Amino acid sequence: MRHVVESELVANVIAVHVAAGQSVEPGDEVLLLESMKMEIPVLTEVAGTVTAVRVEAGDVVQEGEVLVVLDD
Amino acid sequence: MARQPNAASAQASSTTAGKPARADDPRHPQRRLEACLDDGSLELLAPDDTSGMLTARGTVRGRPVIAFASDPTVMGGAMGVEGCRKVVEAYERAIEDELPIIGIWHSGGARLPEGVVSLHAVGEIFAVMTRASGLIPQISVVIGAAAGGAAYGPALTDIVILAPEGRIFVTGPDVVRSVTGEAVDALRLGGPEPHGRRSGVVHVLASSIDDAFERARSITSLLDPSAVGTCDPGSVQDRDLARSFPESARRAYDVHPVVEDLLDEGTTEELHGRWAPNIVTALGRLGGGAVGVIANNPMRLGGCLDSASAEKSARFVRMCDAFGIPLVVLVDVPGYLPGVGQEWDGVVRRGAKLLHAFAESVVPRVTVVTRKTYGGAYIAMNSRSLGATRVFAWPDAQVAVMGSVAAIRILHRRRLAEVDDAEREAVEAELAAEHDRLSGGLERAVEIGVVDEVVEPAQTRSAIAATIASAPARRGRHTNIPL
Repeated sequence: MRHVVESELVANVIAVHVAAGQSVEPGDEVLLLESMKMEIPVLTEVAGTVTAVRVEAGDVVQEGEVLVVLDD
Repeated sequence: MARQPNAASAQASSTTAGKPARADDPRHPQRRLEACLDDGSLELLAPDDTSGMLTARGTVRGRPVIAFASDPTVMGGAMGVEGCRKVVEAYERAIEDELPIIGIWHSGGARLPEGVVSLHAVGEIFAVMTRASGLIPQISVVIGAAAGGAAYGPALTDIVILAPEGRIFVTGPDVVRSVTGEAVDALRLGGPEPHGRRSGVVHVLASSIDDAFERARSITSLLDPSAVGTCDPGSVQDRDLARSFPESARRAYDVHPVVEDLLDEGTTEELHGRWAPNIVTALGRLGGGAVGVIANNPMRLGGCLDSASAEKSARFVRMCDAFGIPLVVLVDVPGYLPGVGQEWDGVVRRGAKLLHAFAESVVPRVTVVTRKTYGGAYIAMNSRSLGATRVFAWPDAQVAVMGSVAAIRILHRRRLAEVDDAEREAVEAELAAEHDRLSGGLERAVEIGVVDEVVEPAQTRSAIAATIASAPARRGRHTNIPL
């Protein structure tokens, strides 16, 4: 099943920690965002394989924007 | 009072031919009441019948409670005049005796064949629930479908616990499909996911029906004013509450382990855990006495306040105040979440609820600023101005209108516009340091009395406990409207 990891808020992407093909476990940090002067890790809620990474470091993301797509 | 097996089997033979006798049905309300109450404590308040409701008294962890359960073995648990009258009588008893009341819901709503008279009867339950609001704790456990009137029953109470099988909606999937053409199943319409995460209807998502009853028992004993208990500072062991904080003050972290460290071991009952997760609201005990904890969670939305989290915590504050439960507020907040979405979502109106709730509450309420508290969110998080009993701050905490760099960018906008890009960072750092010196930060906050005392993270538990124990035990006199 397809799962998406979305941004909860408008933010800058500081770092992307995963690449397509990589497998992840629930709670893994897939990205680091910066917003409100805070560094906010983005964690997965499910286990699966990364099928797409939609953003890269330096991007500005909007609320609800898809960051990473997973398949379990 | 003994059950009446004859009445039960008569209904079973007339309505469920070919199915097991009603008395043997695992969904029988008496089975469910027995599972929720202490073993052997159940006494029916009225004979078992086919009214669709069963009412009882019993005990939870040794303390008396009133309870009722809808009866899905008769007309899907639909609520008619007789069943509703029994619930109203159970409520009147609970109000009179000042006992918590637990409702177990599995009902399709008002009985259609009875017509408007059943609507009137359901409305009388809503009225008595509102009369009981803030006087006695009301806990709802939804373990099957709860539709229409059976949805608003739980929604009017203090706590809604949902079993995996529970579904809550005003209009079911069939009506939605026929009226709007939208195809949706009951799970997506009113199951654990929508109500746990999106609507905020449900406070606790249970892992099973048994877990739902266990959560109800635990929360009942935390809310029951006769079981709230008093905080004994002598019994409080200090722990380093900063142990799960990251090195960098800019780095987000999950506040849940901090809340667990703050509370007595194994006593935490989080409410609305998945809805508005940027603030954590939890009941638990400190030094044996019940407390309510409100904590910004930087891991979600950076810990910003927003309209949903303000509303969630406002309702929690008012519930705790109504039942005399002291509040502990762990503050690490960068501000209100900015944006068009928030403004249109009513962050002003819904944020005002939190200001109102704190300013109105009379229970002991202790604030601890762990890392930072800025601007309007500073005021909202149980500040001195809103009447906090005591405000503590950890030694490195920042208390300000905004972060110093953000502040000097506004105050010195013209001057900074003339600075070369290469030098800007150094100039900003210098201005920020000067701003900190002039506006005073934490020292100044202590001087003017908006922070009472700087405490070490490792002495915070005992400082909170001592404050709660020495403050007069009071209880707000207001209802707990489901904000």
